[in-house]
Amino acid sequence: MIGQAISRYISPSLAVGILLSVLSSLPALAQSDSTIRVGIVSPNTGAAARYGTFAWRGAQLSRDEINAAGGILGKELELFQGDSQCIPTEGVSALQRMIAQDKVSFVIGDVCSSVTLAMQPIVENAKVLLINAASSNPDITYKAGVDGYKWSFRNYPTDENRASVVLKYAAQQKKITKYAVLSVDSDYGRGAINLTKKYLDEFKVEITSEDYYKDKEADFRPVLAKIRRSGAQAIIMYGLADTTPIVARQMVEAGLAGKVILIGSAEFNNPEAIKAAPTALNGAVEAAAWMPEWDNPRNKAFIDAYRQKYNGETPNVHAYAYWETLSLLAEAAKQAKSTDKDDIRKVLSTITYDGVMGRVSFDDHNQANLPMILFEIVDGKSAIKGTFSTQIKYPSR
Amino acid sequence: MGELVIEQMVNGIIAGSVYALVAAGMTMIFGVLRAINFAHGEYYMLGTFSAWFVITRLDVPYIAAIALAIVITVAIAAVVGRLVMQRLVTAPFQSGVLATLGLSLILQNAIILSFGGTYKIFPGGWLEPVMFLDISLAEQRIVIVAATIVVFMALEFMVRRTRMGKAIRAVSQNTECCQVNGIDVERVVLGTFMLGTGLAALSGVLTGPINVTIYGGMGEAITLKTFAVIVMGGMGNVRGTLLAGWLLGIAESFVAGFIGLQYRDAVGFVILIAILMIRPTGFFSLKARF
Repeated sequence: MIGQAISRYISPSLAVGILLSVLSSLPALAQSDSTIRVGIVSPNTGAAARYGTFAWRGAQLSRDEINAAGGILGKELELFQGDSQCIPTEGVSALQRMIAQDKVSFVIGDVCSSVTLAMQPIVENAKVLLINAASSNPDITYKAGVDGYKWSFRNYPTDENRASVVLKYAAQQKKITKYAVLSVDSDYGRGAINLTKKYLDEFKVEITSEDYYKDKEADFRPVLAKIRRSGAQAIIMYGLADTTPIVARQMVEAGLAGKVILIGSAEFNNPEAIKAAPTALNGAVEAAAWMPEWDNPRNKAFIDAYRQKYNGETPNVHAYAYWETLSLLAEAAKQAKSTDKDDIRKVLSTITYDGVMGRVSFDDHNQANLPMILFEIVDGKSAIKGTFSTQIKYPSR
Repeated sequence: MGELVIEQMVNGIIAGSVYALVAAGMTMIFGVLRAINFAHGEYYMLGTFSAWFVITRLDVPYIAAIALAIVITVAIAAVVGRLVMQRLVTAPFQSGVLATLGLSLILQNAIILSFGGTYKIFPGGWLEPVMFLDISLAEQRIVIVAATIVVFMALEFMVRRTRMGKAIRAVSQNTECCQVNGIDVERVVLGTFMLGTGLAALSGVLTGPINVTIYGGMGEAITLKTFAVIVMGGMGNVRGTLLAGWLLGIAESFVAGFIGLQYRDAVGFVILIAILMIRPTGFFSLKARF
């Protein structure tokens, strides 16, 4: 009786007490230094969701490989996912959530240049190390290193030389003189066209029309009708991979396939796009940071591991870029013999790393010296036409 | 130049037909409920996704997928209509805004959760190009315009001649009067909602093959454009909707073809602002119907 009475009064208070102590210890547990917390920002919904899905899968594969090999200096790698939707405000709020709530010290992201440009001041203020893995707008590293942001690095080639290499190949090998522009309306799409325009005189070519599409555009007929009558022989497209099948199929419909080729970069080698409109993509010329056909033993191992993990799916460039960049972060931590973000940042600026695309080091603008591959779609397959350096000569200050 | 003008008009009528099909349902729902259905584009998306699902997973041919997509979407709409839309009859108009915006988020994210956020390629359709006035078009586009004209003729007949149509018009004019006279307003609302969402689904499944890719958020853009169309056509005016849809489509094609694709999405909003300033009852109504 007495025991019952006691337990009636004590057990609730005891339960509350236990609950409180468990609750209060939870954040402490979660924030203990037993893991290395890395935020992965990528567009997982919206117009660039394809990129984000691949990026996240690549990052997960890298995490599993690193943890299976014993982690970094005995600590496990823990990933946190943020969805940028390819929209700067969304990317920034995902990033701030990661920094404030998930207490990440390192961030890999974003794919979309506009988002990365918006995230740079945030990581600078928070002193969180941002390693971009997949944005190509030159401004990102013009603003980093000696000229600005100390906490932004980019392990991805910039568009600076891509535009001239693509145009040169089209003008000299394909003898094309008239070009129509159809690119995505973003820092990436407009930036690449501005760089292209610098070389029009050098290669003696002209642009007949200039259009930029919103990322969710699905009706290209009015523009394709104009291009058909303008006499353009090629469309310069720095666009989104998910739009490529739409444009390609509407090119077939409008009678442009086989007469006008696509040049630039928008995953013209995506097998699904080629299947949707093989004739429109034949002869397409693209410069990309990576492709599955790249001959390198580490690349073969990556593709095999990726296919094994994800039901035989072939990775795309973003899967490679996020996978490689997370591996780079682990390597930098090993060389720093520390998991402290400031130590790792210092090592990154002097590191030499044997990556899939070659030996990587960062210049004084925190930009990795990575090559790009030029390829052409021939009968539904990508044929490598060469590689080129993307190294930049910065204007003297 | 002359040929290009004709080609852009043809492109505009095709794009406009898609808007009109979606807008017809939205304007009828507005008529009976006095509520803008902000989730209307989501039924367009559900229609396309249902067709994609039955074609890729169950190997159903495209023509049967059109019917199945409408059935699946209308079935979902029946549940939503019973649980949400019928309650809006007596609710203040703010509830309608909140409820339909909420539904839009739920439907979009349910699809993203079930099938992932990536774009999917829509299989099927009649994509053989045919020559029409020296313009190369996929057969599918001719099907869309033909289907739109048939649907609007049927709607016109229904609204004027059938009991259901008369009930819809009566509820649009005065809900209380209908309740007094023994018209089951809630049933009319549910019926109109199912009809309207069915039309949106039809539009989606017909557009799938030419828009090539489908994704969870695809309905959003169409809702915004549809909004411009129903204001232009006169809220609740079915006939005006078709003309307004074509007008917006043609205006967009001209802007995309002669000025620049990047300005295309602005066209609808510019027209919307202009109409609200100059002729708030729409182009085709003498006076507002409410």
